[in-house]
Amino acid sequence: MATAEERVLDSKNRHMEFTVTGRLVTARPREATDKNEVRGSRIEDRVAPSASELCAPEILAIEEVAGQVIDGIDSKAILNRMADIGPEARLFLYRPQGNVARAEVFEDPRICPEINRGAVIENLKEKPKDVSGWRTHDFIIDTKGCLGDECGRCAVMCPENAIHLMGKGKGSFHEIDPLACKGCYICWVECYRTAADCILVDGKTFDAAMRAKHFGE
Amino acid sequence: MATVLSGNSAAAWGFRLSRVQCYPYYPITPSTACSEQIARWVSDGALETVTINAESEHSAASQIIAAGKSVRAGTATSSKGLLYMIEVMENASGGSIPCGFFIGNRATGAPINIWADNSDAYAMRDSGAIQIFTADAQEALDGVIQGYRIAEDLRVRLPFAVNLRGFTGTHAYEGVEIPKPEEVDRFLPGYVSTMPLFAPAKPVTYGAMLSALPYRRHKRNQMAALKNAVEITQEIGREFGERFGRSYGLFDWIGDQKAKLVVALLGESAGAGEVVVRHLQGKQGIPGVALLKIRLFSPFPAREISRALAAAGTKAVVVLDEGLNHGGVFPPLAQRIATAVQLHLGSHAPKVASVIGGLGGSEVRQEHFQLMFNLADNIAEGKASRAEPYWLDIDEDPIFVENENQVNPKLWKKWGEVWKQQKRKEKYFSPLPQETDEVRIYSRAGQGAITSAVGFTGAGILAGRQLLTVPAFGSERRGAIITTDTLVHGGGGQKIRSFNRTWDVMVLYDDTILYSPEHQALDGLKESGALLINSSRLTVKKLREQLGAGKANVRVFTVPAAEIAERLGLKHINMAMLGALHRVYEKIPLEKALPYYERHVPKPRDLSLEAIRLGYAECTDQGAKKRLKEVRLPVTEEFLAWRPEDHSQIAWPSEIEEIRAG
Repeated sequence: MATAEERVLDSKNRHMEFTVTGRLVTARPREATDKNEVRGSRIEDRVAPSASELCAPEILAIEEVAGQVIDGIDSKAILNRMADIGPEARLFLYRPQGNVARAEVFEDPRICPEINRGAVIENLKEKPKDVSGWRTHDFIIDTKGCLGDECGRCAVMCPENAIHLMGKGKGSFHEIDPLACKGCYICWVECYRTAADCILVDGKTFDAAMRAKHFGE
Repeated sequence: MATVLSGNSAAAWGFRLSRVQCYPYYPITPSTACSEQIARWVSDGALETVTINAESEHSAASQIIAAGKSVRAGTATSSKGLLYMIEVMENASGGSIPCGFFIGNRATGAPINIWADNSDAYAMRDSGAIQIFTADAQEALDGVIQGYRIAEDLRVRLPFAVNLRGFTGTHAYEGVEIPKPEEVDRFLPGYVSTMPLFAPAKPVTYGAMLSALPYRRHKRNQMAALKNAVEITQEIGREFGERFGRSYGLFDWIGDQKAKLVVALLGESAGAGEVVVRHLQGKQGIPGVALLKIRLFSPFPAREISRALAAAGTKAVVVLDEGLNHGGVFPPLAQRIATAVQLHLGSHAPKVASVIGGLGGSEVRQEHFQLMFNLADNIAEGKASRAEPYWLDIDEDPIFVENENQVNPKLWKKWGEVWKQQKRKEKYFSPLPQETDEVRIYSRAGQGAITSAVGFTGAGILAGRQLLTVPAFGSERRGAIITTDTLVHGGGGQKIRSFNRTWDVMVLYDDTILYSPEHQALDGLKESGALLINSSRLTVKKLREQLGAGKANVRVFTVPAAEIAERLGLKHINMAMLGALHRVYEKIPLEKALPYYERHVPKPRDLSLEAIRLGYAECTDQGAKKRLKEVRLPVTEEFLAWRPEDHSQIAWPSEIEEIRAG
C-alpha cells in the first residue's frame, strides 16, 4: 500500500535532491551551496601530489619569497638580488621532493603580467565560465535510470565536458554540471536509455511531441 | 684531441651532450645523418633518449612541441621538411616551449634541388624561434649546446634552430673537439619546465583560444622574451668560451678593426671570404676590409651590429644573401641590416648594397668576395648602386660591365647609368696566394672513396695538420663518377675553409674515368701536381699522352689496387689507394698516419692495414711494368651482372608479351 509520506532518496547528486512520494519521484534543487567551491575542493581531493610524479616549479615574486621560510636557499642573498632587479624579479624554485634542486633569480620578460608565459592557462586558477544563461531548458540525469560507469555515452558526447561520472560500479551515475551545461540536447539524443526516462528536460521525461518540436520528426 | 666528424655527426653530438630526452624525427637530405646517428646511439644504448619515427615532419614538430612541454627535446630537418614544420612551429614559440632544431640548410623547390642555400631558414624567420647560423661542424656542436642554454634561460624560454649549410657544412668531415660530458653538464643543467604538462598538482592547458585583447598582450610578451635572447646569447657565448676555450658572440668581425668596406653574410660561405680578407688587408690603395659573419640572425642584433659598424667607421656594407625574399625590396639579411643601420645610425649609416649568391648549392668562391669588396669600394666613393639586389654568377647580369655590348640592351636601358659608374678595380683582383694543398679523388660511387678520404683526414689531423674533406653529393647512382675533395693546410690552428679548385694531387680510383668526356678529370690538375691512378694496364707513355704537353711536369703514379684487394680478399680497393696516397702526398708520412689507421680502418682491420701497406709499397711512378690481366673484384662482377628484373616485382615487356601470348 502506498503512503503519502515523502521520502528523500539517498543520492550522491549534489545539485538536485530526489524525493519519492508514493510512486512519483520529483527532483528539486538542493539547498544552495557555493558550487564553485565544491567543484574546486573536489578536484583538490582527487589530486594529492605524490613525490614521484612530475612536479611543477614555483615562480615567486619578491613579496612571496619574503613572506615564507624556504629551507635550502640563502633567502637574504636572493632577496637582495631580487631587490636589485626590481618588481620584475622572480625566483624560480624547483623542489621536486621537498628539497630545493634549483633556485634561480631572473627578470620576468613579460610586459603584460596578467598573461602567463606561453599563454598557458592554469586549470585550477581559471574559474569555468557560467554558461547556464545559454540554455533554455534544464537538463537533469535521473540517477534511477542512469547506467553509471557501464555506459558513459553522455559524458563522452558532451561537447562542454559538463557531465561527470559520480561513484564507482553499481550505484554510480552521471551528473550534469548546471553551470557548464549550455542545453544542446546532445546527451538527450545520445542517451541509450531515453526510453527509460534517464535524462529529464525541465523535470519532464521523454516526450514524442517534444522530440518532434526539436528535431522535426 | 680532435675527432673527425661530419657536420651532421657534430650536431648529433651536440644533442647527445645536451642529454635530449625526446628526439622525434623524419629524415630529409641533408640532415638525415644527424637523426641516424642519434637513432644508432639509442639502439646501442649509448644514449637514453626516446626517439620517435614520425610519419611526417609535421608530426615530428608536433611531437617535439608536446615533449618540450615537460622534457628536453630536439630534432633535425631541412628544406621542405622545415617548411612543413613551420605550421606548428609557432605553437612552440607562442607556447614558450624551449626545444631544439638542427637544420641542414637546403634550397626549397620548385625546381627540386637538394643542395644548400638559406631559403628554408629564411622561410622560418617569422615563426618566433631563435636562429643561430654556424659555419662549421665545431660551431654546430657548440651551437646546439648553447642553443639549449639560451632557449631554456628563464628570460627567454623559446625554441631555437641551429643552421648549418647543407653538404659543404653537414657532409664535410673535419676535426672537431668534443667537450667532456661532465663539463657540459656543469654548463647546461637539466631542463625544468616552468609549466609541465602532466604535473598533477598543477594541471595546465597549452594553446588555449584567446580573444583579441589577451592575444595581442600575449604577443607583446612573446616579442619581449625573444628580444632578451640577444643579450643572453652574448652572455652564454662568453661563458662557453671561459669553460671550453671557444668564445662565441652575436657576430664575428673578421679583418680590420677600422674597416671601411664590409661584406656581411651568414654561415659557412664566410670561409672563402676570410681568405680574401687576409689577402687584401694592408694592400696598397685598399681601405680597411672586414667580413661580418653574423651568427645570431633572429632575434636580429640590430643595435649591436649598427654600433660595430659605426665604431669601425664603415662606409659601405655589401650583404650577401643565400636566399630570396620574393617581392621584397632586399633579401632578408640585407633588409635587416639596411633597416638596422638606417634606424640606429640615421644619416651616419653606411651605404648598403645587396648581392644574392650561393643559391641551390652554388659555391660562393673567392673571386666573388673580390667582386663584392670592389662593389663596396665603389659605393663608398658615392658611386650609384642598384636599389635592388645584384646577382652573383649570372653571366647575363654581371655586377661590372666592361662595355655596353656585353649585356642585353633592355638591361642596359635599365641599369646602364649604374653600370657606367661601377668600375672594376684591378687591385681587388690580384691573384690569391695558395696556402693549402688540395687533393681530389675521382671514383665510382660505391668504391669507398669517402671512407678513405675520411681516414686520410683523421690521419692528417693526428699528424698535426688541419684537414677538411667535402664529398660531392648528387643524384648519382652506384657506379657513377663522383668526386671527394680534401683540403690540407699547415698546423697553427688556423682553419681555412675554401677550395681554390686547382689540385695538387688527383686520384683516380678507376682508369676509365680518364676517358669520361663529361668529367675531364685532369683539367684542374696543377703543373707541379701529382696524378695517382689505380691501374694495372696503363703505361707511363700512355698517361703522358693523355696529360698532354701542358702538364709535362706532373708526376704520375700508378698502383694496382684492384689486384692488391683481390690478393687480400678485400671487397674494396679504397685501403690500397689510401696507402698509395701517402706515397704520393709525402707531407703526411705513412708512419705518422699508421697509429690512426690501426684504430680506425674498416673491418677486417688486419687486412685493411695490410692493404694500406701494400698500396704504399706497390705504388710506383714507373707505370705498369707489363700489362696485367684486367682484375675484376667480386663486387664489380656482382654490379655488372645485376639486372633490374632480378629485383623487381613488375613484369617486364618481354614477360608481358609472353603473358599476352598466353
